[in-house]
Parts: sequence; structure tokens; C-alpha cells
Amino acid sequence: MTLGAGSSDLTAVDELYRRLFRASLLIRLVEERIIGLYPSDRIQSPVHLSIGQEAVAVGVCDALRPDDLVFATYRSHGFYIAKGGPLDAMFAELYGRVGGLSKGKAGSMHLSAPDVGLMGSSAVVASSIPHAVGAAMSFKRRGSSRAAIAVFGDGATEEGVYHESLNFAAVMKVPVLFICEDNGLAVHSHRAVRQSYSLPQHAAAFGIASRRLDEGWDMLAVRQATLEALEKVRAGEPFLLEIATARYKEHVGVGEDFHFGYRAQADIDAWKARDPLLTDQRLLEELRPEIEREIERAVAFAEKSAAPGRSELLTDVI
Amino acid sequence: MTSTAKKSQAAPMRVLSYAGALLETMDAGLADHPNAFIMGQGVDDFKGIFGSTTGLADKYGAARVFDVPLMEEGMTGIAIGAALVGDYPITTHIRADFSFLAMNQIINLASKYSYMFGGIMRCPMLIRIVVGRSWGQGAQHSQSPQATFAHYPGLTVVMPSSSQAILDMYPQIINRHPGPVLSIEHRLLYNLDFSVSTSDRPIPLTSYVAREGSDVTVVATSVMVLEAMRAAEYVHKTAGIETEVIDLNSISHPDWDLVAASVRKTGRLVIADTSWLEYGVAGEVCRQLVMRDPRLLRASPTMLGMAPAPCPTAKSLEDIYYPSQHETVDAILTQARGANHGIALPVERSMTEGYKRFKGPF
Repeated sequence: MTLGAGSSDLTAVDELYRRLFRASLLIRLVEERIIGLYPSDRIQSPVHLSIGQEAVAVGVCDALRPDDLVFATYRSHGFYIAKGGPLDAMFAELYGRVGGLSKGKAGSMHLSAPDVGLMGSSAVVASSIPHAVGAAMSFKRRGSSRAAIAVFGDGATEEGVYHESLNFAAVMKVPVLFICEDNGLAVHSHRAVRQSYSLPQHAAAFGIASRRLDEGWDMLAVRQATLEALEKVRAGEPFLLEIATARYKEHVGVGEDFHFGYRAQADIDAWKARDPLLTDQRLLEELRPEIEREIERAVAFAEKSAAPGRSELLTDVI
Repeated sequence: MTSTAKKSQAAPMRVLSYAGALLETMDAGLADHPNAFIMGQGVDDFKGIFGSTTGLADKYGAARVFDVPLMEEGMTGIAIGAALVGDYPITTHIRADFSFLAMNQIINLASKYSYMFGGIMRCPMLIRIVVGRSWGQGAQHSQSPQATFAHYPGLTVVMPSSSQAILDMYPQIINRHPGPVLSIEHRLLYNLDFSVSTSDRPIPLTSYVAREGSDVTVVATSVMVLEAMRAAEYVHKTAGIETEVIDLNSISHPDWDLVAASVRKTGRLVIADTSWLEYGVAGEVCRQLVMRDPRLLRASPTMLGMAPAPCPTAKSLEDIYYPSQHETVDAILTQARGANHGIALPVERSMTEGYKRFKGPF
């Protein structure tokens, strides 16, 4: 979206903010609905919640073209929704029902919606990073202006394939945008005990330009940083965007984990104080009823969707 | 080598090496499929993966045939990403052992994507890996991982044993197969010449009868198919024993009915595999037969494979590490006539004339 000139600017900014806020709120309320449903055991699989990280998914995806592709991780409810994945099919997928895009075989950790450019989520850390590089290489060979986006956490950058992917992307000059969601935690391990490098300096060693954005709660800032990064990417240079963010909930599951003492409640409270979904109560209350109705329709769809039968057990193996 | 799967009498024969067949199918794959590409260490250099990709970079350009950094996992992941957007990637590993570095992408990703996403994501691709043997390949340049890879659903694993198998199977794989295929090629076969023809009944992506016989069944893989064919000829000439040789050909999707029908006919079984017997192809052949009918065999089967140790480099040890022609013949004779068969074994213990000519380097 480009902003108009003169007096319409304010309206345009308002509309943009409102759009991003709504998308973020949709993600948050979907996940809060998942938290509410979880004790019922209707969702019988691990969930890795994005709560606290919504602004990254929304800011990034709003900057993308519909035909750009996102390769994501097991913590991708946010990216699935932000890229436009259908909500009813998402709940059906979480329920393990045939109404899910993957007929319940994928579940939360492997959400995908290739029709809207969410190209699969992998539960093996860092494993989808080279996929984005491969897609970008294909775009380049075909003379396309599409971009491929690799989304990963800070822990993934410790894996060998991350380094292989950066090197190859730089050697081949392919249109890939590396998005690091830096929530500072690999399960329960803090970044300082895991990494001897700074990510931008590391990328620079490969000749890859980068930027670190500390304001990961700010959807507009994430969107703007992504737009600027994409200009370079579409011009044929890989780019790394490292975005600080905060995981409010435990690594896997729907609970809090501050009582285990491995991290401080105060750290997350500082993020929450700047989280628009918590501070902008006026807009939240305005949008909430309509979003909740949308979510209830999706949940109802999942409830009515059939469980896959025996005939599905051996389909699509090859 | 003429197989009974290739009975089309009218088809003109020609001579083509295994490497030559690979080069022809790689060339055809690139020509027929505008989004096919080949990447791997050295695919565009003067050796061209032992002559199987030579000249293709010049013909099709660096965007479609290109060298890569040393990054087995990354390369395989990049292939998956390209496949997901409609490319047909072909990757190479000049030794099968290096593919272990790519197992995360092969096993956790490529093999899972179709099923895990309910059929909405597919990554058709061909992973070519080459097994080394002899001339001091040692422990890390000689492994034959068919059982390892065939264990995982979602991956199709083939082991072409001849130029004909490559000419027939690779176009089926590249043009039509919906998922990832791992082809285990054998370095000893690369320089061997085979008679080939075009046929309206190409070798399928499953097992086939390479030689018909009524006395003993040999189920073999890769280079052991050649060993079995030579042994079958020897026992035919010296003792009138008729050996049926089945090229298992596909390790992930063998034609078990074909194998069972042969064993039902002969009641005698030799399994000749290129790898270790433990938890391997030999065990799976037996499992399949026993599950179908425990009375199929009239005697305990004979198993030929690598000795249960890493491969030694010393020639004196390497020579006894692999099953020899001597042992292959003895296995068939023992099945047909008992351990005291009294029939002279061939003078030659190991390998064909073709292998003998081969002096390396690899």
C-alpha cells in the first residue's frame, strides 16, 4: 500500500494501522480461542503459540505481494493467518479433521496454504530455510520478480543449514528475504549462552546486507522495514531482517512458564507495555465482536468436519 | 546384457556404457523438461560425475547445470524449495556416503511433504548417489545405503543395474513420478558396456526377471545382478542348473508377487545384495516370502552381502569383504545340489573382466 498525498495521508495511515491491527488481533484471538479449547482435548497435538509475536507476521506479510512465498516454522499460526490462510480450514486442521487443507495430517506444526503462498511449516528447526533459497533460485532463473521469504527463529541460525543457505544465496544472488524472529529463546535457552556471533555481522561476512529492528511490537515499523528489504531483494540481493520479538507463552503448549524461573516476567511485561493489542483498548473493543464471530464460524466448521477415515491412512504417501 | 523384460525382437540393439546411459537420460531430462536442472559438486567440471553430466553445462547453460558449495543438506533443501515451485531438480553425490549429510532434508522433509501436507505439497526430484567399491575405497566411500533409505515411507529408492535400466527408468522418474526418488548407482558399473534397445515394455520402477530359470532363484541388487547373471551362466554350462535371476531394481517398491512366484517355482533362494545383511534387503526379502507362505522354501536361503564390518582399505581384506564370483556360484550350486555338490568353482574369484580393467582413480 502506498500512502496518498496531502490531507488524505492521515486517513491512509489510519486505514493501514487499522488493517494491521485487525490482522494481529485476529491471530491473538484465534490463539486465545485455542487456549480456551485446549483443555477440551479437541486439539490433540502440540501447539506453539505466536502470542506476542503477531506484529512480525502481520508486518512482514502485509509488505509482500500475494505471489511471494513464505516458508515457515512450527510456530506459524501467525504467518498462516497473516498470509491469508483460510481460518475454517485452520481450525479443522488443528482438530485433525478432513476439512483442514491437509485433511488433518499436518496439524498445528505443519500448517500450509500454498494457494496463498504459505509453503509449508517444518518442525525440524531451520529445515525450511533452504527451501526459500531454492524457490528464489527458481524465480531468478525464470526472470520472475517474485520473492521467497525464509522465516525462522534465532535458534535456527545456529544450525549448519542456515550458514549453507546464506552462502548459497549470496553466491547465486537470489531474491530471498531471511526473516529472523528473535524472541531470544530456544525452548528455554537464552541466546547469550548459544551464540558467539551477532547476526548482522555474520551475514555481512557472506556479503549479505541486513538490518536489525528492535521494535518488533510495531506492525508499521516491521512492514516498512520489510518493504525496504524487499526493494533490495527484488533487485537481486538476498537480505536479512532480524526482528526482536517476545514469546509470551511457553515454548509448546498454552500455558505460562515464568514460574519455572528460567526467564523473568519483567522482560515480557516490558514488551506488553508496548504491545498495541494490549494498549489500544479502544480499537480492540471495536473490532473484537466481529472477529470473534469469524472465529466461532471457523470453530463450528471444524466441529462439524469429519475425522479422516481409514481410507486416508495410506493416501499421498509417494 | 539382455533381460527377459526386453523381448522386443525387432528393436535394434546398440552398445552403451552405464555412464553413457546416464548422460543420455540427463540430456533428455533437460531437453524435455524446461524446468529441470542438475546441481551437485562437480557436475559442470571436466569429469562431469564420471562422465554422466559431461558437456551439459555448455549445452544448457549455467542456470540449469551448476556446481554447488560443499553443502549436502543445503543443496537438498534448495532442491526441495525449487521442486515446490514446479522445478524438477536432479542432485548428485559422487559417493553415497555424502548423502548421509543430506538425510535431514531427504528423510524429514522430501519424503514427508506429500503425506504430511495431505497431498497439497509435492517435491518430485531425483537424487543420484554413487556407491564406490574396490581400489581402496575404504570405510567412508563404499557404503550402499538402500535399506537405510527404503525404510522410510515417501521415498522411492531404485538401484539400476544396467544401461537399459537407466534408459528405461530415468525418463519415467523425471517425467512422471510425483515424488522424490533416490537412485543408487554403482561406480563399478559406470565404465561397463551393455547392449541396449528401445522397447515398448521398458523396465518398470519395480522388480523384473533378468533371466528365467526353474531350479534356483537369485534375488539380486545393482552390481550383484551382474554377478548373479555370470554365475547363472556358469552353472548352466557346467551343471545344467537353470537359475532365475530377479533384479529387485526398486528397493522401496519391489514386485513381491514376482519374487514369490519365482520362489514358489524353484523352492531355492539366494539373495545377493551390495550391502550388509543385518536389517537389510536380505531380511526384507525373507520377511515378504514368509509372510506370504512359510512353506515356499524347500531349504534355508543363502545370503550374500558385505562382511559385518566397515569396509577395509587393504586389498587383501577388501577381496574377502565382498561376495565373490566364487561364492555366488557356490551359493547357487549349494542350493541346487547341496553343500557337497562336488562341482568345480570358477577359477576367477572376484569381479568381471570389466572390473579387472578398472584401475582407478575414481
